[in-house]
Amino acid sequence: MAIGGVRAVAAQAPASIRARLSVLLDRDRVLGPLFVSPALFLLLLLVAYPFCMAMYFSVSNAFIGRPSHLVGFVNFINLWKSDAFRQTFQNAFVFTGAAVACKIVLGLSLALLLNEQLWWKRAIRGAVLLPWVIPTALSTLGWWWMFNSLYSVVNWTGIAMGLMDPPGPNWLGQKYYAMTAVVLVNIWRGLPFFAITILAGLVAIPKELYEAAHADGAGTVARFWYVTLPLLKPVLAIVVLFSTIFTFSEFNIVFVLTHGGPVNSTHLFATLARQIGLESGRIGEGAAISLYLFPVLALVVYAQLRFVRKEVY
Amino acid sequence: MATVGARRLGRRIVIHLLLVPFLIFALFPFYHMALTSLKQDKELYDRQAVPLLIRQGATLEHYAKLLWETEFLTWTKNSLLVTVLATTVSLVIGTAAAYALARLKFFGVGGIGTGIFVTYLVPTSLLFLPLAQVVNWLGLGDSKWALVVTYPTFLVPFCTWLLIGYFRTVPKEIEECAMVDGATRIQALWRIILPIAVPGLVCAALFAFTLSWNEFIYALTFTSSSEEITASVGITSELIRGDIYFWGSLMAGAVLGSVPIVVLYVFFLDYYVSGLTAGAVK
Amino acid sequence: MEHVSRRRFLTTATGLAGILAAGVSPARGQQRQVSYLCWNNFAPASDKKLAEIGQRFAKDTGIKLKIDHIAAPQQAAKYASEVQTQAGHDVVEMRMHFPWLYEPQLVDVSDLVAEMEKKYGAVIPSARETANVKGVWRAVPQYHAFFVAAYREDLFKKASLKTPDTWEDLYAVGKELKKMGHPIGIPISQNYDSISTAGPVLWAFGGMEVDKDGKTVRINSPATEQMVEWYRKIYRDCMEPEVLSWTDASNNESLQQGKAGWIHNPVSAYIVARNNKLPTADGINHHKSLAGQNGQRHETDAPRHIGIWKFSKNIEPSKEWIRYLLGKREVYDEYIMSGDAFNLPVYANLQDHPVLKTDPKFAALKQEGVQFHCYGWPAPASDKVQLITNSFILPNMLAKAVTGTSTKEVVAWADGEMKKIIAE
Repeated sequence: MAIGGVRAVAAQAPASIRARLSVLLDRDRVLGPLFVSPALFLLLLLVAYPFCMAMYFSVSNAFIGRPSHLVGFVNFINLWKSDAFRQTFQNAFVFTGAAVACKIVLGLSLALLLNEQLWWKRAIRGAVLLPWVIPTALSTLGWWWMFNSLYSVVNWTGIAMGLMDPPGPNWLGQKYYAMTAVVLVNIWRGLPFFAITILAGLVAIPKELYEAAHADGAGTVARFWYVTLPLLKPVLAIVVLFSTIFTFSEFNIVFVLTHGGPVNSTHLFATLARQIGLESGRIGEGAAISLYLFPVLALVVYAQLRFVRKEVY
Repeated sequence: MATVGARRLGRRIVIHLLLVPFLIFALFPFYHMALTSLKQDKELYDRQAVPLLIRQGATLEHYAKLLWETEFLTWTKNSLLVTVLATTVSLVIGTAAAYALARLKFFGVGGIGTGIFVTYLVPTSLLFLPLAQVVNWLGLGDSKWALVVTYPTFLVPFCTWLLIGYFRTVPKEIEECAMVDGATRIQALWRIILPIAVPGLVCAALFAFTLSWNEFIYALTFTSSSEEITASVGITSELIRGDIYFWGSLMAGAVLGSVPIVVLYVFFLDYYVSGLTAGAVK
Repeated sequence: MEHVSRRRFLTTATGLAGILAAGVSPARGQQRQVSYLCWNNFAPASDKKLAEIGQRFAKDTGIKLKIDHIAAPQQAAKYASEVQTQAGHDVVEMRMHFPWLYEPQLVDVSDLVAEMEKKYGAVIPSARETANVKGVWRAVPQYHAFFVAAYREDLFKKASLKTPDTWEDLYAVGKELKKMGHPIGIPISQNYDSISTAGPVLWAFGGMEVDKDGKTVRINSPATEQMVEWYRKIYRDCMEPEVLSWTDASNNESLQQGKAGWIHNPVSAYIVARNNKLPTADGINHHKSLAGQNGQRHETDAPRHIGIWKFSKNIEPSKEWIRYLLGKREVYDEYIMSGDAFNLPVYANLQDHPVLKTDPKFAALKQEGVQFHCYGWPAPASDKVQLITNSFILPNMLAKAVTGTSTKEVVAWADGEMKKIIAE
């Protein structure tokens, strides 16, 4: 504040517009909003406004190409009566829970490994990052080809290694196998994000702390538990937060691999919303399904943010 | 000394061995996709063929079909154009917003920060239909410029968040020194802070590039003509016709569609990691 | 407000300048144009032929024509956004019962259809049911791709099996085929191919999902129970569990690479085998759709029509384009011939089309005596009936049955689900 004040006084002298502008731009109260406004404008116009429209859809009987009117919360209530929706609700939690849990454990392990002194470090890190980098629409097709009941590489390998009896499980056609398959593909795609971000967190931990712990007699496990994990908590929290959001609103993997089947056992909010909202024209119901995501996500975000604030500040 | 050296070596070997399953998991699908793109059709359809190898001779016909018989090059050009522009726009907007939120004090700074973050929760599958109306109203229907305008909606929040973290790690004293020496805030930002923040910027740029390149729903909705669509949309709509999948060319498309990003990442990986370091930890 | 390309701006600008100079009224000088959103045809050659015809149209009439293509799974999202924004293409492909879904947004084209019917005879029933919405033609029927039985003639000959005539015959033949290692391939999963077989089987037993009035759910009937039992025994004795995860392409691929001995599919499976010179191509042939015990043959049809959006500013030029493409016998024939018998004419007098003679394996596609219907028949394709179809209730019912749930239970479940949708 004092520095700003000194600057303002010193610059009072030249009265040209340019100088005045430059003084103005130096004040936090002007510069701040100025810098933030492009982002705000963009998000208000292209996110907030459409979001309000989507909320309107969800409380109306909107149907493609027909005039609509408000009907209140009927859509939300009716959805609960639908078998498919209740199944989807359950699927979403199972899918997200399983996928994120695995990604945490595997991501942490992989990050710890990548943090070591490695030969071909760059190549290995690059290779690990690959699944996240390739366009999802195409990599999911590749996985479909791999699970394809006729040519399934997975089964072929399993049979060749003696782990399965021919013809091997019907990955995408049986209830629990299908869920396993989509979770697996989600993990494949999301693991790099976890690993590299956690790695970044690991790199930031000062070596002195480890040396101090070692000097105090702590073994590898104890060092991990008492030094690494606590310092990783903020990073982990952020990664888990983002990943939960992405995973909960997953669309492409389920759409391409199973289309929600078998018998709705892999439907997620996004895929069911598309089936009912777009393919059958019921935009209102589709929007309602998508909006069910919101409270859950908001809760997750709230919990995470409080946790992060507590830990960091 | 020898035993310590040997133990270290042994430990290293064990670590590398532990990495092997992860590498196989990550890379096998690519191997399979690449293999499929090189197999002849008759081997692809042969039930008795070994899926892990090419036995009946490799062929480049799928790549040829993709490159010469479809508009693949146009689509890739579109994807590149949209991605580079969207990334640049998002980076500029994000940097400005992040600097303001990290350093400046003004009305509503806390709320705006949270607000920007919250927009991340809104899935694109919910937004695309009402957004189509806004896009149309802006006169951008069926155009890749619609993508350049809409992609920042999901790129800016992440870039902002990352850069806020990054800016916070730069000590305030550096700026204050510069300002005492007569620089304005903007000059301090441009000349001092940004050069220090390059790893963070590169990291944000890479992330934005990846998300942009992979995006599908908006690309599908806001573009139709063959001259405007992006690579993922083009490949999936051109090579999947009803109940016929041109697997060889589809996989060729997947392989070629990842090349630009892989190249980028190989060159900038170190920046990416160090950029995340400061940004994520804080 | 549309995105104005630089070229168009210049053309318009020079046009305007010319108009002002000549003193002619603007309407006469304006460039007429049509944009057409079409699906990605099974036969890429057909798309090329369409582009060719389009260029000739542009030259002959001076109307600029732009043709864009889209894949079937993406049509729903695309059309929804065009309708929502009231902007986009002028002419769009309307597959099956899309005209019902988008009825308020489609121009009345009864005049065009009347012209076609005068030239080519009446529109076949399945196309009429889908393109004529409550008495008004909302789209012009173009062609249709129907399901037919594709089988391995060589394997049948080897085992001295007779081509089946009824669904019961299929069971007997299927048992033998499975023993030979070439099971039948009928998908039972959440995809449209599954509905495409479940429908005809249900109709063959005299059953239906929803009645003609569009309101009464008739799935809970002895006919349905018989159909479920039939599927149960076919799954158990003639097929393999993989059919539970099949997509629309799986039965094609199974036949093409030599596993399946019999599938129910349009002619696409054979065409790809033939064009890629796969070893199975020579052995594949088709036979007429199967009959029920009552002798009636029902079959799933996928007609495709052309519709004009009401919001289009080029309705008259659009109608001219449709007249050009379909109205002239030579052009229509040319278009059909390029499609390799994937897409056949939908008008009564064109049924025995020369394209069927281009390959002896197409002989069975004449399908005399076969009644074609679209999903949900005999109920008119209202939104609720379409929602029932899109929720895959029929295939899910069958999937539950073949994996162990009792017939009574699955039929009651399907009944409940359909009633819920109708009741909303």
